[in-house]
Amino acid sequence: MKYIFKRIGLLLITMILVSFLTFLAFEIVSGDPVRNMLGTDASPAQIEALRQELGLDKPFLSRYVSWLLGFFSGDLGRSFSYKQPVWELISSKLVITLALSLISFALIILVSIPLGVFSYQWVGGPLDGVRTAFNQLCMAVPPFFTGILLSWTFGVILKVFTPGDFPGFAKDPGGSFVHLFFAAICLSIPRIAMTVRMMRSTIVDEMNKAYVRTAISRGNNRWSVLTRHVLKNSLVLVVTFLGQTLAELVAASIVVEQVLGIPGLGRFLVASISHRDYPVVQAIVVILAFWVVLAGTISDIVNRRIDPRLRLGGEDE
Amino acid sequence: MKKRMNGYLLAGLIITCTILVVALIGTFWTPYSPTAMQYGKFQAPTLAHLFGTDHFGRDIFSRVLKGTGTTLFIALLTVGIGAVVGTFIGAVTGYFGGVVDDVLMRFNDALTAFPSILLALLIISLLGPGKKYNVILALGIVFIPSFARVTRTAFASLRDTNYVTSARLMGAGNARILLVHLLPNVLRVLLPAFTIGFNNAVLAEASMSFLGIGVTPPDASLGYMLSEAQGMLKAGPWYAIFTGLTIVLLVFGVGLLGEGMQAAEKGVE
Amino acid sequence: MNKRIFLAWTLSVMLGAFLLSGCANTAAGNAGSADTAAEAAAEKTERAKANEAVVGIAQDFDSLDPHHMTAAGTKEILFNIYEGLMKPNAAGEIVPAVASECEKSEDGKTYTFTLRDGVTFHNGEAVTAEDVVYSINRRRDGKDTAAQLEALSVIDEVQGEGNTVTITLKEASNEFLAHVMNAYIIPADYAELETKPVGTGPFKFVSRAVQDEMVLERFDEYWGEAPGLSKVTFKILENAEGLILGLQSGALDLVAHLSSDQIVQLEEGDFEIEEGSMNLVQALYLNNAVKPFDDVRVRQALSYAIDKQAVIDLAFDGYGIPLGTSMFPSFEKYYDASLTDYYPHDVEKAKELLAEAGYPDGFSMSITVPSNYTPHVNTATVLVEQLKEAGITATVEPVDWGTWLEEVYGNRQFESTITGLTSDNMTARKLLERFGSEVGNNFTNYNNADYDAILAEALQETDDAKQTELYKALEKNLTENAANVYLQDMADLVAVRKGLSGLTFYPIYVLDVSALHWAE
Repeated sequence: MKYIFKRIGLLLITMILVSFLTFLAFEIVSGDPVRNMLGTDASPAQIEALRQELGLDKPFLSRYVSWLLGFFSGDLGRSFSYKQPVWELISSKLVITLALSLISFALIILVSIPLGVFSYQWVGGPLDGVRTAFNQLCMAVPPFFTGILLSWTFGVILKVFTPGDFPGFAKDPGGSFVHLFFAAICLSIPRIAMTVRMMRSTIVDEMNKAYVRTAISRGNNRWSVLTRHVLKNSLVLVVTFLGQTLAELVAASIVVEQVLGIPGLGRFLVASISHRDYPVVQAIVVILAFWVVLAGTISDIVNRRIDPRLRLGGEDE
Repeated sequence: MKKRMNGYLLAGLIITCTILVVALIGTFWTPYSPTAMQYGKFQAPTLAHLFGTDHFGRDIFSRVLKGTGTTLFIALLTVGIGAVVGTFIGAVTGYFGGVVDDVLMRFNDALTAFPSILLALLIISLLGPGKKYNVILALGIVFIPSFARVTRTAFASLRDTNYVTSARLMGAGNARILLVHLLPNVLRVLLPAFTIGFNNAVLAEASMSFLGIGVTPPDASLGYMLSEAQGMLKAGPWYAIFTGLTIVLLVFGVGLLGEGMQAAEKGVE
Repeated sequence: MNKRIFLAWTLSVMLGAFLLSGCANTAAGNAGSADTAAEAAAEKTERAKANEAVVGIAQDFDSLDPHHMTAAGTKEILFNIYEGLMKPNAAGEIVPAVASECEKSEDGKTYTFTLRDGVTFHNGEAVTAEDVVYSINRRRDGKDTAAQLEALSVIDEVQGEGNTVTITLKEASNEFLAHVMNAYIIPADYAELETKPVGTGPFKFVSRAVQDEMVLERFDEYWGEAPGLSKVTFKILENAEGLILGLQSGALDLVAHLSSDQIVQLEEGDFEIEEGSMNLVQALYLNNAVKPFDDVRVRQALSYAIDKQAVIDLAFDGYGIPLGTSMFPSFEKYYDASLTDYYPHDVEKAKELLAEAGYPDGFSMSITVPSNYTPHVNTATVLVEQLKEAGITATVEPVDWGTWLEEVYGNRQFESTITGLTSDNMTARKLLERFGSEVGNNFTNYNNADYDAILAEALQETDDAKQTELYKALEKNLTENAANVYLQDMADLVAVRKGLSGLTFYPIYVLDVSALHWAE
């Protein structure tokens, strides 16, 4: 339990650091939200007045502290451009991005774990080299290139879905799912390949260990050793890896959302950065960062449950 | 066993070297000027224009030649910055530990948690946008945390080994131990990280260009070209396909190389 | 052994199941394809039957408050919801809207507007003189700084009584009516414009989802001609490819401002392509304060080095009208076509001028472009090639819009940039006033004493004919001194689904959907 508290403490520190860095970032970055709102015809007096109205004239630290206090009381502030509460704006987009990440994650697990175990059977076989090469090839495909190809074949030619016209869950849940499914394919192909490769090498390493050799030499057959002991022991690394993958998926979806026109957090983030809508950017960054850190924390905690050895180690890593 | 292991290495070397040579040629000579706009819009691939022409009537083959060089250049330097600075941070935190370690690692965590696009955009804005070197610097900084993490673990695990203790007993200073005794060992961890990092750099640069904050148009990288091509799938699908495939081939080659090196090492052991 | 066989079976079943599910997915996908395709076709006829249309737009609205909106793309669409006392028509005239009559006093300082009978807001309330006074004051009294309109500071007093509103000016102004159009009439003290806009226009607001869509409905009590469509949805698709795919799949009926590259992607037969003009002055704007652009010979050399027609041909497939000064043909009265070819394409002449100016070997320059405007980026790409021939090494620096506004437009930290300048009211003044040396938004730092003198005279002049002459003199001054390299008025290509007609082009940047209707 103590460990869990420690992890949560670290998580909080990281989050505060992230939010501070984002805040600082916009302090330094060129581009003025007020000028963006008032456009090209604004007079200096207008710019100054609006700056005061938005509280942008206050010192940096006091703005940060008031944002932080607001955040902890559940208030993410109001969007500069949309003049609406940030949470109202991003909640529906958060759902879409989360759905996309989870679909991709499910796809990765469903495909890569059986394939990983299966590919071990090929180790040393004639097809092993071909498989490895194919695996590397899958890793080399950038998600947005897959996105372009899929939107061309399935969007333009076969018209299965309309890239750029995401129907929305409320209107058409089935269509929305199909749309997200294509995006998930783009996101998961390289990651499935990575997971398979990682599982294969972990299993190979584990199978070469003394206890496995002993077990096999005692007449236990390889398959039962593999499933009873090896898989369990290699799970630690796999869970860590999947945790990392889950974290990366959200960030990686930014580009895919752009290619396939999915109105998720990523697309909103890119638009808000270019409009210098700081409250929105701040909120999205903190949410994305929270996701990344949380995935890491959870996979660490799960690992300790799986592998008691880690609990004795005491150290973090 | 060992022979096939080297098959990856061989295949990787062949692909990567071919691309390197092609990119090198592309920097100095291309069949047509990669920016000249006089070959007719959206010409399908022919013998004269192997990859066809684009929306300005530029020769795509020449552009791919040139763009590969740009992409390679950016990716190599990016990973270089990430590896050097990351290893330095990894050494300091892993070897000395303590407060420095805690503080730097929290920053590392925070940087990792940042959406890389935001981080890159920030750095580019700070340096002034549009310049090729700023893109490199921005991406390089984005790549520091992952290298720092990998090397830190390596340094930390080596710190308490017998030979480090004995070197210390013999009066070797920290700098000497780090540079002479530990670094060569850490390089072995670094090599696979470098190939993975290189591939991530190619993809990251492509994504950045895709979102419009990458390299400038006349110097077009493969990523920028691909983002241009996206809008022209119907009129000239060859633009997207050939640039996309070049990226895939580039990353594939280096991936095989990494696989081969790892396999070779295992074979030796 | 049994176990082993069992495991092998389990695994193959798992794999099989996966493969099957994959197939099932594809099958489902394919079935879905037939469905969606059929649906799209059905939807199309259904939309026509229901008298509805979906319009694709490339960017979200920056504000739904008509006094706060600044983006051209927002003004363009909200034109259908809001009206001023007067409004523009397609012929470029200023016609009465919420007012039915407008009388100008002898000295030109007092305007008396008679409110039109039976004009109601979308919330059902009648428009009163109080609402009008409130709306005009909101744009000028400074209580709401963001709403303040510089041009309306000429107003001294606004009075409302019964059904007339009287506006007194500090000094006579020829352009007053054009500016008062922008004081869109809203209900007095109405605070929910951002979320529930209320105006008097032909369409009323129904709903909006940020970054997704806005739905408008026909306003049945509209005072003017009833709109042809009963419902119009504006779908926001920031990805240019998305707009085209939306048209192809049948999700969209109309998209404006397409590029010629995009038009090529559309199937022939399904759409009519209408060509209007964007009514903007696209130019390579030069920072006249930095070297080497402070030398008129260098600017002239650039003008000779650049081949406008080639830019239009290469980057715009020939769509677009070449320009030679800061004015476009839609402003017929002010437009001077003879300036267009003042600098014919002549590389030798350009080199001579450069040599004279002390740059026999050319020089290096940067062109800063907002990366989200593909036409400007494409133009820059072509210009780099053309300038190369004259020995000038140009590099393109794409920046995001926020940076462009701040650094280029605000701080004037740039060498050259490509953008399109527009006039959002019907006056030529806006396109010319900005080059006065003392003017706040003169981001090109153009500094010419003659120009300032003519400008001051033009702004004072109350006789329309004389003022027009002075404006033309300003245009000529810009051309002769090669203030910037003027390129073109970009073409506005609109794809409209067959059967939908009534699209009208305005001399300003608006998309009027009220005249659209489906064929019987």
